[in-house]
Amino acid sequence: MKKRTISSVVAFIFLIIMAAIWLVPLLYGVLTSFKSEMELMTAGFKILPIEWVLTNYTELLVNNTSTPLVKWFMNSMFISVSHTLLVLVVVSFSAFAYSRLQFRGKNVLFSFLLATMMFPSVVNLIPLYKIVDIFGWVNTPLAMIVPGAAGVFNIFLVKQFMDNIPKDFDEAAQIDGAGDLTIFMRIILPLIKPVLLVVALFSFTGSWNDFLWPSIVFNDIEKMPITSGLQLLQGMYQAQPTLLMAGALIAIIPTFLLYLFAQKYFLQSMSLSVGVKG
Amino acid sequence: MITSMEKTKTAKKSTTKEWSAWLFVAPHLIIFAIFFLIPVVFGIYISFTDWDLFNAPTFVGLDNYKELFFNVDSTFYTQLRTGLTNTFIFVLCAVPFCIIVPLLLAAALNTKPFLSKVFQSIFYMPSLFAISAIVIIWTLVFNVNYGPINSIFNTSTPWTGTQPYAWIALVVVTVWWTIGGNMIIYQAALNGIPKDYYEAADIDGATAVQKFFKITLPSIRGQILYTVVMTTIAQFNVYGQPLMLTGGGPNNSTRVLLMYIQQNAFGSGQSIAGIASAMAVILGVCIMIVSAIQFKFLRVKR
Repeated sequence: MKKRTISSVVAFIFLIIMAAIWLVPLLYGVLTSFKSEMELMTAGFKILPIEWVLTNYTELLVNNTSTPLVKWFMNSMFISVSHTLLVLVVVSFSAFAYSRLQFRGKNVLFSFLLATMMFPSVVNLIPLYKIVDIFGWVNTPLAMIVPGAAGVFNIFLVKQFMDNIPKDFDEAAQIDGAGDLTIFMRIILPLIKPVLLVVALFSFTGSWNDFLWPSIVFNDIEKMPITSGLQLLQGMYQAQPTLLMAGALIAIIPTFLLYLFAQKYFLQSMSLSVGVKG
Repeated sequence: MITSMEKTKTAKKSTTKEWSAWLFVAPHLIIFAIFFLIPVVFGIYISFTDWDLFNAPTFVGLDNYKELFFNVDSTFYTQLRTGLTNTFIFVLCAVPFCIIVPLLLAAALNTKPFLSKVFQSIFYMPSLFAISAIVIIWTLVFNVNYGPINSIFNTSTPWTGTQPYAWIALVVVTVWWTIGGNMIIYQAALNGIPKDYYEAADIDGATAVQKFFKITLPSIRGQILYTVVMTTIAQFNVYGQPLMLTGGGPNNSTRVLLMYIQQNAFGSGQSIAGIASAMAVILGVCIMIVSAIQFKFLRVKR
């Protein structure tokens, strides 16, 4: 018993130290965003601002045409929400067919899709740009909304979840003469809500945080999402860290809020996905 | 009679059913074909061509690969060497920490300490933030003159501008950003180990270290394999951290291959998409080989 308490004290101290390392950068970033440029440069190292100012935020958010942060934020919001909706529709329809319906070559096709997940995605980066360019999607939200829906992992996740739902329900409905679409909409869809929520959360955050791809398909400042915008901001305001902090914090607000409200699902889903894959 | 009638009925039903099943999978298959399958095939083909992204590609056989591997005077030869070396250095430095740190955190959280949920949330949170925002925050933390690290330790280490500090900074940011997922996976795995294993070991007088290597590690072997492979693949695709934190410097010492690929294909000036594609294929092959090796070594032993 004594040994146990010693080890849990050691564990607790370790966690405290690590938590400090995880929190200090964020907190220091928040506090710095309320300092004036002058103060940061001249006052020496202070944790709290001597004088709390909002100028960094107002400068970024109000009448800002060279680095339109509000616009970037809205662009990202539109892209991420649309992408999430598209993924939900595509994935749930597809997973339903692989889980419940019969068609020739189903298993071969599904195994093939799974095998493609191991393929390194870096190889298709350059041609993907060309295809998006042919469609006229460069500098439009579609460039970020549609291609990501090609992913296979979410289908796998949802199919696996559906496979665990007893077939009795759909068989009963079938006897009553219900078609595939009715069974899908009325019976399966309500039952797979938990896994769809997980897919939605990860699609949204994945899309919001995407960095390399938007930096390739957007060069129009007005059209880009916030991740590319921040890169531009960093280039323009290298000498104004307080302003950059404000921009960075605004960019992480949506995923932070999502995490606050849906923490349980984020944490559960990690074990869900590894259970499926491992 | 009845059976044959039923047979025709089911046969007819299954053909109509089949038709509707294809409608269900069609949206994904179309998107998959256009935005994954075609680009992959095209990407491999392009690596054997001379291409500027806009005009028709000209087939040049193995010329791009010859240039990259053997033409010592070529800038692309140097780029591939530098980029690939730096990518491997980064993977070798970052991956062990991305496995060990979350494993330690999970083990500590598994003692069910006070506030364990709060700790868990804190460590997981950064993985939901955009890399460009994270790098901006850490650029301030590492700042030579007014960054908190140098101020607290009263040093003037140019973290992002000199080696080996630039690598240390990149690994720190990467670990801070990415370990949340692995930690959750290990937590679930550790929770799944039956308590009587440890009780039996206690009776035999096993030490904590023995228990860790003889019970804990073998029990979570599957999850370790999974996380090692996935983390390695993710770190091979490193891009945002060196681009924005060190700018590939000092002296290109942190310029990773993906930065050269991006620069050659989409950078200012004429696009050299053929060479860039060949670089991408080389990077892809490296990723696949390393994953295969990891599978072989981590799986066989039981």
